[in-house]
Amino acid sequence: MRRSVFSSVVSYAKDVIWGMRSIFKSCLTAIPYLSGKHDLTKEVTEQYPDPISSKTPDDLPPRSRGMLNNDIERCSGCRDCEAYCPVTCIRVEAEPATDETQIWVSIFDIDFSKCMFCGICTEVCAPGSLRHTRIYGGASPRLSDMVASFGRGPVTETQRAKWAERRKQIEDEKVRLI
Amino acid sequence: MNAFLWVSSWLEGFGLEQVESIWILAPLGLIFIFLFIIVPSSMIVAYLDRKVTADFQARVGPNRAGPAGVFQSWADFFKLLQKDRNSEVSWSEELWLAIHTMALYSTVAVLPLGSLMLLVDTDMSVFLPFWAALVVALGTMLLGLSQKTVAGWYGGIRVATQAISGAFPALVAMICVGLRAGSFRWSGLVAIQGAAPLSWTAFSNPFQFIALIVFLVSGLVLLAIPPMDAALSSPDVSGGVAAHLSGRRLVLFKMGRFYSFYLWAVIASVLFLGGWKLPFEISENLLEQGKIQLLHFLELCCLMTKSLILILLVIWGARVNPRTRVDQITDFAWTVLSPFALFALIGASLVAGWGVLS
Repeated sequence: MRRSVFSSVVSYAKDVIWGMRSIFKSCLTAIPYLSGKHDLTKEVTEQYPDPISSKTPDDLPPRSRGMLNNDIERCSGCRDCEAYCPVTCIRVEAEPATDETQIWVSIFDIDFSKCMFCGICTEVCAPGSLRHTRIYGGASPRLSDMVASFGRGPVTETQRAKWAERRKQIEDEKVRLI
Repeated sequence: MNAFLWVSSWLEGFGLEQVESIWILAPLGLIFIFLFIIVPSSMIVAYLDRKVTADFQARVGPNRAGPAGVFQSWADFFKLLQKDRNSEVSWSEELWLAIHTMALYSTVAVLPLGSLMLLVDTDMSVFLPFWAALVVALGTMLLGLSQKTVAGWYGGIRVATQAISGAFPALVAMICVGLRAGSFRWSGLVAIQGAAPLSWTAFSNPFQFIALIVFLVSGLVLLAIPPMDAALSSPDVSGGVAAHLSGRRLVLFKMGRFYSFYLWAVIASVLFLGGWKLPFEISENLLEQGKIQLLHFLELCCLMTKSLILILLVIWGARVNPRTRVDQITDFAWTVLSPFALFALIGASLVAGWGVLS
């Protein structure tokens, strides 16, 4: 969404002030530790949403990086996220299709047990389908539960036959390419 | 070259005869400043850094070497000197380490340490340490590229990237001060300031205060000082350029990095925080009485105290905030520091123009 110049400047100034306030507050947090009169059980964490400080995901800052979500309808299967991921937690398998999907992303797995939430994959995502959600509590007792699958599933034989038929039609210029 | 005559007054104090030759005075002055000012202050700050960091993290910190661990820096120094090198060091690596360290310590000659302890005081004095900082960044990059390790390559490139993005706002903030003083001489920059905080450049108008903040933060970016040290951090690039160095070379490298931090704090104090100005006309009285050494010492103490406080404030901020990612550092320098530096420059120009016109 395109914003006006004025609102961009205002949000920029807000960001700068927020950053300065955050640094100042964290500096103040450290003062009791200097004199040794700190209480180690006191909660000093800022902005981690938890039941103790009664915060919800809606209280999270706008650019917070929660669990990843991929909108498979918009995903182009370009594999940029897979290539850029520093911990190789993303696995993508895609093949070209000839129906309205154009590209069939059969596997799109994100292993959250490896993911470090650096956000690089969302920055390189050209169609903008891969995004951080505001969901943050993703812990699980089993490693296998940590893998999130967004893919459309393996290509069936009937699908493949349909695509081959259509591709043949396109090559014979009987139908226009979608 | 009266600039070096202050050295001879100290030499007389050590029982040496009057030395007139500039070729003897200049190296003696540099060695004096390095051994008696830079090395002790770096030891003190290294110790304070470790102790304060330990306090913030509810640890004890150094406590074995001497009372409360005050000799920890010396212990580390001597231990590192004894270490053997762990891997083959190529000639190009040796060369770049030596060259960039020499470029760094050449700035000792332009270091402003008091009204009488100015070795080089020209119209472009302010810019000399600044260019030296850029040369150091380039030298660190070439040192990293000559190391044939991934950490060295990435660390070296990142140091150079950061330095380029941090240089612009720092330069503009420096010009803000020059506008107010009408000169880029150390003596001229300090002459317009007073001993009281309200007569310092930083608090003369709000634009100069913005310039001070921009200058300090862009210094952190330019020299890769915590929390902007993603180029040299161990969790990020396993130490970057420093990963391949050990023993004496590591001492040389770390000492150089510390010295650049110290240099930046001294320059910031001189430009913005009143420099070596003493209150109650102490300097005039001492000059009349001819107590030159005492004046040297008091001015130096004044400047060192300000620099130490500045360094401790930066350490404080660095230890309670997370380390910044390297692309976020460059983004921050171009999109936040640079506009604010230009804003401060416009404001400072208007204030200076208003002062001339009215």
